Parts: sequence; C-alpha cells; structure tokens
Amino acid sequence: MNEALFSQLSTLGSSVVLLFGLILLWRRSLHAYTDAFQWQSAVLAAMFVMIGYFGHDPELYFVAVFFFVLKVLILPHYLERMEKRFGGERESQPYVNVATSLILAGLLVLLAYAVTRPLVLVSALPTRGGLPLAMGLVFVGLFVVITRKKALTQIVGFLVMENGIALLAVLGTFGIPLIVELGVFLDVLMGFLVMQVFVYHIHGTFESIDVDQLNELRH
Amino acid sequence: MTGYFLEVAQALLALTLAPLLVGFVRWVKARLQNRRGAPPWQPYFELGKLFGKEVVMSNNASWLFRFAPYIVFASALAVTFLVPLVAAPLPFDGVGDLLVVVYLLLLGTFFLALAGLDPGTAFGGMGASREMTVAAIAEPTIALAIFGLALGAGSTNLGRIVTATLANPGVALSPGHLLAFAALFIVTLAETGRLPVDNPSTHLELTMIHEAMILEYSGRYLALIEWAAWLKLTIFFALLANLFVPWGLATALTPAALAVAVVTLILKFAVLGVVVAVVETRVAKLRLFRVPELLGLSFVLALLAVTSSFLLK
Repeated sequence: MNEALFSQLSTLGSSVVLLFGLILLWRRSLHAYTDAFQWQSAVLAAMFVMIGYFGHDPELYFVAVFFFVLKVLILPHYLERMEKRFGGERESQPYVNVATSLILAGLLVLLAYAVTRPLVLVSALPTRGGLPLAMGLVFVGLFVVITRKKALTQIVGFLVMENGIALLAVLGTFGIPLIVELGVFLDVLMGFLVMQVFVYHIHGTFESIDVDQLNELRH
Repeated sequence: MTGYFLEVAQALLALTLAPLLVGFVRWVKARLQNRRGAPPWQPYFELGKLFGKEVVMSNNASWLFRFAPYIVFASALAVTFLVPLVAAPLPFDGVGDLLVVVYLLLLGTFFLALAGLDPGTAFGGMGASREMTVAAIAEPTIALAIFGLALGAGSTNLGRIVTATLANPGVALSPGHLLAFAALFIVTLAETGRLPVDNPSTHLELTMIHEAMILEYSGRYLALIEWAAWLKLTIFFALLANLFVPWGLATALTPAALAVAVVTLILKFAVLGVVVAVVETRVAKLRLFRVPELLGLSFVLALLAVTSSFLLK
C-alpha cells in the first residue's frame, strides 16, 4: 500500500513539475516565467522531502532545504531584480510560435517516453513512473533555450533544464550524495551570476535583451 | 424494455434541465457582477417567446438555412441518448460510443457553420470561419481527452469507462484523469461559446463567434438553435461530471437509485455551473489569434493524459 502510494505521489509530483515547465512555452511575460520557475522549484523541494521520507534517506531532507533556499528564494530574487530592469520586454515573437511550441512539447514528451523506456523497464524503483516526465522536462527546457529570443527567457529555460536533471537524478537513484548536490548548486549559482553579468552587458550595448541583435554586424 | 423508457426519460430530463442550467450560470454570473440578474428559469420564457414568433428569412437563403436548425437540434438530442446522465451502462451503449458522440457534436457544428455562410452576410461568414478555427483544435481534444480515460478502462464505450472508474476508485486521482479533466474543461469553454473563447452575451462583431452564425435566425429556428446550444452545455457538463466523478450514477434501474442519481446530477451541475461562472467572471476574453494557443495547451494536456494512462499502466 505504501509502495503504491509512493509511486502515485511521485508520478503526480513529476506531472505537476512538467506542467509548470510547459507554462514557459505558453505565457509570454517574464514575470510569469519567474513565477512558474519558483512554483516548480517549490514542488520539486517537496518531492525531495517525500522521497526522503518514503525512501528512508534523511540526507534528502538537507538537499531539499538547500534546494529550496537556492531555487525558491535566491535565484528568483535575482531574476526579479533583472526583470524589474528589463521586464518590459515580452517574448512576443519567438522563433517558433506558441501554438506550435506547445504541440512540439507534447511530441517531445512522447520522445522522452520512448527514450526512457529501456530505463523504466529495467528499473525496480517505485519512482520509475516519473522518469519519462523528468526527461521530458529536460527536453522542454532545452527547447525553450533554443527557440526563445529574449536572454532572460533563455536563462529561465536553462534553470528549468537544471530542475529536470535534478528530478531525473532523484527519481532514478533516490538522490545523489550531499557533497555532489552542494557542488551542483554552487555551479548553478555561479553559472547564473555569470549569465546575469552577460545580460547586463547585452542590454548596455544594444538597449534590448533580444539575442537576435547579437547576429547583426552593425547597429 | 425499461431500458428504452430510461433512455427516453434521460433525453427528456436533459431537454428540460438545459434551459435551467444556462439560466443558473447566467444568474450566478450576474450575482458575481453585483447585479440582480434574471431568475434562473428565464430561458424557458425565452423559448416560449421565440416559438411563438414568426420566421423572417432572407430571400437569398436556401433550403440549408431552413434545414440546419433541425439537424443541429437533432444531433444534440441524439448525443443525450448516448451520454451517461443518470445511469450507466445504458442500453444504447452498443449503438454509440465516444467516437459517435464526437462525430455527432461535430455534425451539429458543421451544419451551424454552413447555415451561417448560407445567407451571404458578412457576419455569418466571419462567425463560421472563427467557429471552424476553434472547432478544428477543440474536437480532436475532446476525443483525445476521453480517449485517455478509455485506455485505462479498455474500451471507448462510455458506460464501460464509468463502470471501470467505479470499480477502481483510486484511478480518479491519477495524473491521466486530472490532465484529461483539465483538457476537457478548457474544451467545454471553447465548444459552448463561453469566455475566454467567446462571449455568449455579446453582439459586437469584434467578439462574436456563435452569435455571428445565428444572427440571421428568428422565430422557431432560433429557438431550436438556442436550445441545441444549451443542450451542448448540458452534455459537456454531463461528460465532465459523470466520466470523472461517477459516484451517484445509478448502476441498477431501481427508483431509489435513479432518485439518488438525479439529485447528485443536479448537485454536480450546480457545482460545475458555479465554477464556469466564476471562471467567466474572472478572465477577459482572449484575442482571437490567442485562442489557438489556449486550445493548443488543452491539446497538449490531453496528449499528456493519453501518454500517462497508456504508458504507465
């Protein structure tokens, strides 16, 4: 009974996390992206706690706390500061329009199911049902980075991809050791701060955060 | 034999409940907007008024214009025989399953669009083209969303989907069911002409879809088409309520079970009506070019529902 409940909860949690990732393809305002990322990270931290409880792994509680502090408090705070500076620009003309991106996202999730099928068949863990959804989230995050023009959207897409990888790790192997997680968090934080510096420079040079401008030879 | 009486009684129940349901939704919307609003039984008086008026037709209208209201009404009425309203499984389940229901609904939409084009007015053509844009994405989503349930139940027969959910109550909270419910709810708003897709009480050309197609109709034709639209709302509410939350449906044809079924049906309709009224009051109408985005989202939700119930069995 516990196993079945654990399976269902992990699948439900993974679905909710993936749905928040789909919001990045549907909405156009940067504020919506920051909100979606915050909620997604909160649900993901809750999933860490749940897997730590059902999998009898108390290390995951610490990981959940660090995850929450980094991705629900620190990163969205910086994102909101950047959004106040550049948030007037909405993602109005992505390379792939919204309706097509949503349909492609559905196909990407199907692709994720096909790709993770051998993994799911071999695995005996109760959380294996959420593996395809985590893989789908990685694909969707990558899709957002590729097809969106605004630098801030690409940053949020990268962070969502990071969330997908973390979800894949915790579902597939019940989390990785605390030391490795801390290293990954530090990397994410450093990467984000570097990207932030880049966005400020792009805005300073081109008066917009449209990365298409980087292709122009003269302005 | 009692089965056939039950079918006819169910269709009559849907016919009589439809105006009350629409009146209730309008009344709740009025109250939410701080107005008194017409009483919930006002649509009955509207029907009575329209049936008593004479028909005024354009000289350019052909036989299609006179024929279409009957087809639209008949197709909506036919669906009420196939959808589980108070009991499941139904004797007509062998005749019509999920795909027949979707085809009948699309038949009504198709003839309504043709009737909008027939008199040759600008409003009719505009309404018909907008309606087809919406229907092109919404109809496959209905099929896909209920297909997600059908995969879990092993059959596209609506009665069997209901009995499968009743036999295995835990599946009602599975991701497949929740995603399919969300997808079907968005499609309900689109197919029945509710905000944010279409404003049911507007006559401004910028915002009309359903109203534009029926602008030329009057008298008994208008009464039939309006009644068919209200029947469509009842059908979608019945699908939402009885496929996803089937507790209360009569599985045996005893008077007690049927009475309980009618009471729970009215309760479920009231809840859904309040939810739709709150959603309509809360959101603004979407720009027409944004509607495919919303419907694309519902299509993806339905697709995810199908994959999660198919590939996670």
